[in-house]
Amino acid sequence: MVPPDGSGSASSAAAAAGVTVRVPARRRGGSLRVLRRSQLAFLWWIFAPVVSLFIIIRVIPIFVILLFSFTNYSIIRAFWRWTGLANFERLLSDNNFLSALWNSTVYVLVAVPAEIALGLLFAVLLSRRVRFESFYETLYFLPYVIPMVPAAIIWKWIYAPGSFGLANHYLELLGFGRVGWLTNPKIALLAVIGMHVWKNLGFFVIVFLVGLKNVPADVKEAAAIDGASQWAQVLRVELPLIKPIILFGAVMATIWAWSAFTEVYIMTQGTDVSTGTEIAVLVFRIYQEGFRFYNMGYASAISFVLFVISLLLVLAQFQLFRGWKEEGA
Amino acid sequence: MRQPRHAALLHAVLMITSLAMVFPIVWVFLTSFKTSQDIIRATPTLLPERWTLENYASLTKTAPFVRFFLNSLLISGVSTVFIIVTCSSAGFVFAKYRFRGKNFLLLLIISTILIPLQTYMIPLYLLTRWLGWINTYQGQIFPLIIMSSGIFFLRQNILSIPDELLDAARIDGASEFGVYRRIILPLTTSALAAISIVNWVYTWSMFIWPLVVANSENMFTMELGLMYFQRQFITLYGGIMAACVVTLLPVLAVFLAFRTRIIEGVAFTGMKT
Repeated sequence: MVPPDGSGSASSAAAAAGVTVRVPARRRGGSLRVLRRSQLAFLWWIFAPVVSLFIIIRVIPIFVILLFSFTNYSIIRAFWRWTGLANFERLLSDNNFLSALWNSTVYVLVAVPAEIALGLLFAVLLSRRVRFESFYETLYFLPYVIPMVPAAIIWKWIYAPGSFGLANHYLELLGFGRVGWLTNPKIALLAVIGMHVWKNLGFFVIVFLVGLKNVPADVKEAAAIDGASQWAQVLRVELPLIKPIILFGAVMATIWAWSAFTEVYIMTQGTDVSTGTEIAVLVFRIYQEGFRFYNMGYASAISFVLFVISLLLVLAQFQLFRGWKEEGA
Repeated sequence: MRQPRHAALLHAVLMITSLAMVFPIVWVFLTSFKTSQDIIRATPTLLPERWTLENYASLTKTAPFVRFFLNSLLISGVSTVFIIVTCSSAGFVFAKYRFRGKNFLLLLIISTILIPLQTYMIPLYLLTRWLGWINTYQGQIFPLIIMSSGIFFLRQNILSIPDELLDAARIDGASEFGVYRRIILPLTTSALAAISIVNWVYTWSMFIWPLVVANSENMFTMELGLMYFQRQFITLYGGIMAACVVTLLPVLAVFLAFRTRIIEGVAFTGMKT
C-alpha cells in the first residue's frame, strides 16, 4: 500500500550527517556536540526501550515457540525435558489435529476466493462513479469494524435451528426447507465461514476501491476510446493494474482465515442449545492444548505448524501472482 | 453504465447487497428493544410489537456489565496512549536517524506485521505468568502497546517532513526531545489520529488474549463478559441482544464519527496489529 520511498531514506541519511554542513560556521562546534549527545540520548532513553519491548513481545515469542515444540513443557509439571521430534510425530497421528488442519484448510480455500471475488465485484461497481458511493461504502464496511464477539453471537441467532432462526425463517418464506446451519456437521463449517466472509468483506471492498480509484483516468479513457466495453475495460485494463493490491488483499485474507478463532469458538463451542456440532480449527487446538490441557510443548508444535504454513501460503501467493503478471505482460 | 437503465440496475444491486450487509446489525438493535415474548415468536418480526427498555435495565442485574465496560475502556485507552508514544518516537527515529542496524530493525518490524497473536500466545502467556501478571490489567495491556504496522505508518509519514525544519529547530538549541515534541508530534497528528482510532477499535474488540489472561469476573472485558453471559443465560434472549448492542455501540459511534480516518488507517494497517 505504501510506495517505497527512496528519496525519503536518502534525506534521512542526510539528517544525521548533514546537520553539520548546514550549521553556521561560528556555532558549528558547540551545537554539533550538543546535537549528537541529544540524539544519542533520544536513541537510548526512548527508542531503545520501544525496540526492546517490540523484541520481547513480538520477536522472542516466535523463537520460543520453536524451542518449546521440541519439549514436553507444561506449567502443571515441575520438570520438563527435550523430546526431540516426538511432538511432531504425535501430530501426524493425532486425529483431533488432523481434522483441525483440514477445517482450517477448508476455511482458507473457501473464504479467500469468496472475499477476493466479492470484494472486487463491489469495488468495481462502486468505482463506476456512482452517486451515494460513500453511503454504500459505509454500509459494506460496517460489519468489518464491529467487534467479532457480538457479531458471532448475532449470527448464531440467525443460524438458530428450527424456524426460530432468521436464516431458516426466510428460507421457508421463499419456499425452501429448513437447514441445520450449525447442527449439521456438513454445513456448520461453511456456515461459520459465511459469517467470516460477511464480517471481513468490507475491508476488501475498501482496499480494492482505493486501488481502482488510483488507476489513472487517461488509461481508462484510452481503453474506452479503443472501443473496449465496460467489462473488458475492467478485466483487461483495471484489474491487471491493481494486481499488487489484490495480492495484498489475498495475503490478508489468507492470514485471517488461517488464524480464525473467535467466531468458530463463539458459534460452535460450549453447551448452548443452539449449537450442535463442534468445529475445531487450528487456533482452537492451540487454545485447547495450551490453556485447557496445559500441554504447552505440544501446543507450541501446533503453533509452529500454523506459523510455517501461513508463511508458505504467503510465499506461494507471491509466486502465483508473479506468474500471472508475467503471463499478462 | 451511464445510461439510466444501467444506473438503476447498478443502484438496485448496490442497495440490496449493502442493506443485506448491515441487516444483522440493524436486527440486533431492533431485537434488543423487544419484549421477551415478542422475541421468541414463531414468526419473527422486524420491528418490535412494543418497544421496551427492560432488556437494558436488567443487564446490570444479571452480570457486572458496568465493570466489564469500564475494564474494556481502560485497557483500550491505556493501550492507545502507549501506541501513540511508541509509534511516533520509533517512527521518528526510523525516518530521520542513521545508524548501523536501523534497516535490519525496520525489516524485523515490517515482517511481524502479518504474524497474528494467535501463533505466539503461548510464550506470551508464559511471560505474563512469569511476571506475575495473570489476571491483571498490566497482563491484558502489555502485548497491546506495540503496533508494528503503526510504527511503519508513522515512519512513512515522518519521511515527508523536511529535514530543514528539524535542523532549524536544532540550531535554535532544541533538544531531540524538543524536536520530537514540537515538530514531529504536531505534524503527524493526522496519522496518529488514524492509528489511534484503529488501535482503539482493535483493542476494544480483542477476544483471545483476554480469554487466556483474565480468569476472574472483575478483570473481564465487554467481549469476555458477553461470551460468558450468553453461555450462562442462554434463554435470556433480550438480555444477550442488549449486551451485544452495548458492546458494539461504542465502536459504531467512533466509526461513524471518524469514518474517513478509520478507512484510511484500516486500508493501511488491516486493523490487526
